[in-house]
Amino acid sequence: MQMQTERTNEQWLADLTGTPDVQSYALEDLRQRLQRGIFFYLSRERSDLAQLSNQELTQMAEDLAQDATLRVLENLNSFRGDSRFTTWATKIAVRVAISDLRRARYKDFRLDDLTADDELLPLTSKALLTSSTLTPEEAAERADVLTKIDRALRDALTERQYQALEAVAVRGVPLEVVAERMGTNRNALYKLVHDARRKLRSHLETQGISMAYMLDLFQD
Amino acid sequence: MSQDHFNKLLQCILAAHEDDQMSCEVCTEQFDCLAEQVAAGADMHVLLPAVEKHLSCCPDCREEFEALVSIIRAEDEDFTITSENK
Repeated sequence: MQMQTERTNEQWLADLTGTPDVQSYALEDLRQRLQRGIFFYLSRERSDLAQLSNQELTQMAEDLAQDATLRVLENLNSFRGDSRFTTWATKIAVRVAISDLRRARYKDFRLDDLTADDELLPLTSKALLTSSTLTPEEAAERADVLTKIDRALRDALTERQYQALEAVAVRGVPLEVVAERMGTNRNALYKLVHDARRKLRSHLETQGISMAYMLDLFQD
Repeated sequence: MSQDHFNKLLQCILAAHEDDQMSCEVCTEQFDCLAEQVAAGADMHVLLPAVEKHLSCCPDCREEFEALVSIIRAEDEDFTITSENK
């Protein structure tokens, strides 16, 4: 890969909106630069892609860099100059790449796959109450708190909050994926989950269950 | 639900910051400027504690920010790895 021309922020903007020849050269520079960054990320920071060959990763980086370059071009007007232009463009490329990876990984995810309400804590209870190191008193104390958590999940949260909390915070499904399935956007979903966490915490605290107490009780 | 899932439920309740009002969109608007400074060794907690708070609660934003910082660091070191020598 050839080394690109170094440009100031102003030069990048001027070249990317310049005459067709100038623009074409600048776009290719940008694409190559983004491709290098994406390739670095895919090959060095993503252990889940370790099974892919160098050729496959290169192809993936090429495709993502192509999409990212177009996205940068579409959003040139929103560059505020708070950073190097290339950093801003890389931010967009990172979003394109990670979004693509998330969608691929969770392509089969359905909200219906989440645990039904009445299954969430009984299964947990079984796992948490059968530790061989627990005394009968400790097991009883855990069972009592689990019952209160179960009640808090049902009483304090709406069905939508419960579903979002389980998918995002417990199952680790990306907000972006869950938002798409729930027909909302990432900002709104983050707020939904955030409110659910606060409500749950507050509800438990009114029951006399502090966070420190729960951590201590369930620490093995 | 496994013990691991239950622990995640506990952690998510514990990590609920009462005062994190930042949206993902506002958070990511700060990313480019912040990532350059963090890549250069600046302390996020000092730079913008509100963003740090959001990142501690939002796995999507955190993943994207960490990816951006890692690429900037690699660029600043002129990429120790390329597609040719991986």
